[in-house]
This record gives sequence, structure tokens and C-alpha cells, in this order.
Amino acid sequence: MGPDDLLLIVMLIALTLYAVLGGADFGAGIWEFTTALQATDRERQHIYKAIGPVWEANHVWLVFVLMILMNGFPKAFAALGLTLWLPLLLTLVGIIFRGGAYIFRSYGGGPKRELLLWEAIFAVASTGTPLFLGAAAGAIASGKLKIPTENSLPSEFVLGWISPLAVFTGFYSIGMCAYLAAVFLTREARVIGDEHLTTIWRQRSLSTGLWMGVLSFGGLVMVAIEAPHLAEGFVTRGWPLVIISLVCGIGSLIEVWRLNCSRAVIAASGAVTAVIWGWGISQYPAIIPPSITTAQAKAPDGVLWMMLIVILTGGVFLLPALGYLFMLFKGEQLDRKVAN
Amino acid sequence: MTGLLADLTTANQLLPARLQMAFTLGFHIILACYGVGLPVLMLVAEWRFLQTGDRLWQKLAQRWSRSFAVLFAVGAVSGTVLSFELGLLWPEFMGRWGAVIGLPFTMEGFAFFLEAIFAGIYLYGWDRLPKRVHWLTGWPIAISGFLSAFFVVTANAWMNAPAGFRIVDGKIVDINPLAAMFNVASGAQVTHMIVAAYMVTGFSVAAFYAFCLLRDPQNEYCRRAFTLGLLLGLVFVPVQMVVGDWSAKVVAKSQPVKLAAMEGQFQTERHAPLRIGGIPDPVTRETRYAIEIPGALSFLSYADFNAEVKGLNDFPDNEKPPVIVVHMAFQVMVGIGSMMGLLAAGCLVNYVRFRSWPKSKWFLRTVVLMGPLSIVAMEAGWIVTEVGRQPWIVHGYMRTADAVTRAPGVWSVFAGTMSIYLLLGIATITSLSRLAKVPLQEDLHGT
Repeated sequence: MGPDDLLLIVMLIALTLYAVLGGADFGAGIWEFTTALQATDRERQHIYKAIGPVWEANHVWLVFVLMILMNGFPKAFAALGLTLWLPLLLTLVGIIFRGGAYIFRSYGGGPKRELLLWEAIFAVASTGTPLFLGAAAGAIASGKLKIPTENSLPSEFVLGWISPLAVFTGFYSIGMCAYLAAVFLTREARVIGDEHLTTIWRQRSLSTGLWMGVLSFGGLVMVAIEAPHLAEGFVTRGWPLVIISLVCGIGSLIEVWRLNCSRAVIAASGAVTAVIWGWGISQYPAIIPPSITTAQAKAPDGVLWMMLIVILTGGVFLLPALGYLFMLFKGEQLDRKVAN
Repeated sequence: MTGLLADLTTANQLLPARLQMAFTLGFHIILACYGVGLPVLMLVAEWRFLQTGDRLWQKLAQRWSRSFAVLFAVGAVSGTVLSFELGLLWPEFMGRWGAVIGLPFTMEGFAFFLEAIFAGIYLYGWDRLPKRVHWLTGWPIAISGFLSAFFVVTANAWMNAPAGFRIVDGKIVDINPLAAMFNVASGAQVTHMIVAAYMVTGFSVAAFYAFCLLRDPQNEYCRRAFTLGLLLGLVFVPVQMVVGDWSAKVVAKSQPVKLAAMEGQFQTERHAPLRIGGIPDPVTRETRYAIEIPGALSFLSYADFNAEVKGLNDFPDNEKPPVIVVHMAFQVMVGIGSMMGLLAAGCLVNYVRFRSWPKSKWFLRTVVLMGPLSIVAMEAGWIVTEVGRQPWIVHGYMRTADAVTRAPGVWSVFAGTMSIYLLLGIATITSLSRLAKVPLQEDLHGT
């Protein structure tokens, strides 16, 4: 195992944390979008309060993944900038509006009408961002991305990434975020002891959870048809993670049903984690299949070792700080104290 | 039809890509400055609260922390845009050089992360943490803000003075990321930028409260905020003069063509004059209407009145930056810096004689003006650095034209970005002014 493999593991960990933590934040906005007409003020407050202290830190995982890719696998970073030109631009638009709308809603202090406008923008942007980011991931996974060359037509830049799998993963990641958010918010509602909210979110978790189960099977079929190379990876290496994902998914549904909320959160996160690692492991060693492998894209080993030292050192500061943040705002005891 | 489209779109991506980068970076730097500077002011105000128990100090820290929340969140968004843009607009640059200069970006990722974490703790922790602990959680914000600026500017300095690699047969070998980070230009450029960030914060804050004092001279809250802000700005004025001089000396050594453009120096000559103002004319190759101080440029650049300063005429045409922009921007920066110097000197004299700020309304009006001017000066400085490096993206190794994306529609992206950022800017300013308008009494009784 060389330094590039270690770095890939770090990147996959960061990506997982972004998908789980950032995904839940996006999911909260997706729920706001899909329930816009019937949600009460109290239900909305619940959503905004839950993501308040943590969303910005959760967002940084994405920047982190990008920076590791740029430094450790510069050729892949450059290729993605070219091939995923449109979906990444659209993701950026989503990120700008999501972040901006959240902060202007919370701190803007505007009149009610303006508040509603920001909430609407927040909801739409929270749905659009995972759609395009998920589609970008699906475009990579499809194994059909061509790196545009000097002679490529503009249409190849704009539309070349679109494939059935990309479209599917776009919507799949919306569902994934919504599911995570529903389970996370069930727990938050339970922690503050609000029965009404707990019932709503429990029911939402169960229904999205079932849908996600169906979609996940559909996804496997999709991969088998659309991305034969990836499917081969799943058969030879990735299959244990499919089983883990399945077990975690079912487990999370049972735990939500029983209102064992912390366990449900862990299981739901586990299901998502297994999906991402399953993809990563099955696709290895390609980083942008079919043309770019990690060996072609990586920086020289010396640089990679240096990065790993930096990451390890940074982690010594980062992880305790992150733990402190979550303990303060997501820990059960403190929340109870404040709620009382 | 598609052929025509291809011609139209590939004809020129360079100009819109550069405008896009300049615009989004120019927008982000302002926010980044507050991200570096405001935590320091919050820490001082809260420290005064801990010392005196005076609730007004706490209110000040709390209100600043809310403004900080807005500015930091918008800055986080505009910073994310930049990290994507490195790949979207300049894929060839990143693909070729990412291994050499990516390390400070990775480090910056950590610093940004820590700043975001502690910003969350500080902002939402006012009621949850013991006072002293809360104050302590402000420190990592200030420190990681400082480090973010440090790391990211070393990467920019490297583009000016590339180091930490060798080229053998067109391939990059022997990469040493630390040598790349700590290149010849890093020290001066990093210091210049961080000091500028404190100055921009200080003068912006002071300008806002000077405006408030003009309308309500007895307002104790505004007076304290004004004092803290202005002190932060003024303390760094003399520092920045020394650092600026250091920076110019580094440019003289590592990028003589940039120095020549900054100064509008066309002829290579000994005993070169320092030009104040003036309009360079690239056609006739002379700078007209400038006030010239004989020998001063030679002295400032090389500490010797008779040193030879290389002129633009000695460089091939395809290696020269656009001299008018660079010279003008440099004059603006230095001009505003000198005004700040005068203001600082005036305040010092007044303090020695009367132990107070000058009483005149004109003093407050000048400070109001200094807020926006400090931002103008900082942006002008960036224009000098960035435009002065052209036509290179990596000085001497890669041209900007060779780094740009081949993707179509960059003009449309730029137009879209302009409108989105306009909205973002307006909403940010509106939010900040609403935050400032919450009546203080109401605020003092609430939590």
C-alpha cells in the first residue's frame, strides 16, 4: 500500500463525512422544499435550529476533498474541471444560494415576506446541490467520461457527462440526503422531547427509508447495465459493502420504528457510508474511469508523504475540535438541560 | 451551425476567465480580510468585558460576532467558489503544477475547517459556555484566520517566484513542496496581505462608527467601537510602510519587469527616479506628468542611489504586463497608504498634546472616508500583484493563455456570476445594516 492508497482512504473518509453530515444538512432543506405548503412554523424552526451551529463545518469537508484531489491527484482534478464543467458550475450555484439564503434568513432580520423568500431559496438550493453533485459522481462512476480535447465541440463539454446513471445518482443522492435528514431530525426531536415532531419525522424516515431501499436495488441493476466495469468490481470486491449497506439500511428502519434514535442515526450513516465505500472500492484503481487511474494522476510519492504528514498533524487539531463542536450542540445531556 | 458556435466560443476564453477569476477573488478578499481581522476585535472587546464586567463591552463583542457570522458565511461560500474555479477555469495550471503548490491549499483546508468549527462554537456558545471558556474559543478563530491567509498567500507568492522543483526534458522533477511554499516572495507578500487585512478591518469598523458618532457624538457604545477599530487600523500603518518597502525590494529582485511596470520605468537607467502619479504611454514609451524624485527608485529598490533599475524596454513585448493598469493601481495603493500615514501622524501628535482623539468633525469625516479607501487600496495592491505578473500564471514557466480551460460559455458564466454576486453583495450589506440598526437598549436586555 503506497502513499497514494493512504491518501485515497483519507479522501474517501472525508467524502463519507461530507455525504453523511453535509448530506443531512442538505436533506433538511429538501424536506423544507417538499413540505413547503403544509409545514408549520414550529416544524421549520426545528429544521433551522438543527443545522445552525454545524452546517458550515460540515460544508468544509467538500473543500477538503477538493484540495486533497488537487494536491495529490492533480491530473484528475484538472480532468474533472474539464469533463464536469456544467454539473460543477451548477453545484456551485447551489452552494452559493444555499449558504447565502441560510445566513440571510437567520441574520438578515428582514420582514416576514423576505424571510419566506430566503427560505424558499434555501429549500430549492438544498435540493439542487445534491442533485448536481450526485449527478457528477454518477458521471464518474458510469465509466464513460471522455476528457475533452482541443478538437472537442462545445456540446461535448456541456452535455458529454450526461448518462442514465448520472441522472439516476443525481436523484438517488437527493433521496439519500432526505433520508439522513429525516433520521437525524427524528433524533433531534426526541432529544428535545417534542412528541409531535418525533411522530412526523419518524413517519418520514420510515417512508423515505423504504423508498431508498427500492431505489438502491434499482441502482444495482442500473450499474449492472450501464457500468459493466463497476459492476465487475462490485462482484469481485465490493459485494461485502452491499451487504453491509443492506443490513444497516434495514437496521436503521427497525431502530427508527422502535425510536432507538441514536442507533438509527448510526445505522443510517452506516448505510450511506457503505454505498460510498462500495463505489470507491469497486472502482479502484481507476479514479476517472476509463481513462485515468490513480497511478497516472498522482503526484510524486514525496509530495504524497508530505501531504499525509500535514493531514495527520492537522487531524490532531481538527478532530478534537470537531468532537467538541458536536458534543456541545448535538450531545443529548446538554440539549436536555437547555430544553428544560 | 455547430462550427460557427465552436469558433465563437473557443475564440477567446482567456479574457472572460481572467475577469471571472479577478472578480470572484476581488469579492472574496474583502470578506477574507474581515475573517482575519474581526475575530481580533471581538476578542479584545470580550476581554475588556471579562476585565471590567461592563455589559456594554459584551454587547459589542456579541454584535460584532453576528456581523462576523454573516461575513464569514458569505466568505466561506465565495471561497468554495474559488476552490472549484481553480479546476474549472485553470485546469492546465492545476494539472501541471498541483503537485508542486497544492500543499498550502491542503493546509489552508485545515485552517478554514478550524475557523468554521470555532466560529460555530463561538457564535452559538454565548449562553452555553462559561464566560472565560467562551472567550478562549474565540482564539482559534483569530489564529486560524491568520493561518488561512498565510497559507493561501504563499501559494500566490509561488506563482510570482516559483521554486521547489526542477524541469528536466519538460518534466517537473525534484518537487519540494516546502521550498515551493517558502519561496523568495512569500515572506513579504504574506506579511503585506495579513497586515492589510487587519487595516481593512480596522478602518472599515472605525468608518462605520465614525459615521455613527457624527450623528450621535455622545454615544458611548459607538465611541468604544470606534476607538478599537481605529487603533487596529492605525497601529498597522507604520508597519505596512516598512513591509511595503520590503515587498518592493523583493519584487525588484524576483520580478524586475513588474517593478518597471509599477513605476512606469521604460528606460533602463542608473539613478532612476521615483515617480509620483503620471500616466505611462506604452506607444511613446515614457511616463508623463509624474512628479519625479531623482534617484529615489534606485535607492528604494536596491538601497543605492546609483543602482541600475531595469526598464520595460529591456523586456520582449510578449513578457510585459499591461503597464498602465499596473502603474495606476500602484499609485492608488501608495497614495491611500500615504493618506493613512498622515492620519496616523496627526492622531499621534494630537494624542501627545491632548491625550485624546482630535475633536474636529473633519477628523471623523476623514475616518469615514478611510473605510472604503482602505478596501480600494487593498484591491489596488492585488491588481498590482496579479496584473503585474501577466502574461504569466507561473512566472517564467507557464503563460496564463496556456492554463485556461477550453470549455465553452465562459462569458455567460461570467455574466451569471456578476448577477449572482451582485445579489449576494446587496443581501450582505442589507443584513449588516439591519444588524446594526437593532436598538441597543432592546439588545442589552435581551440575550
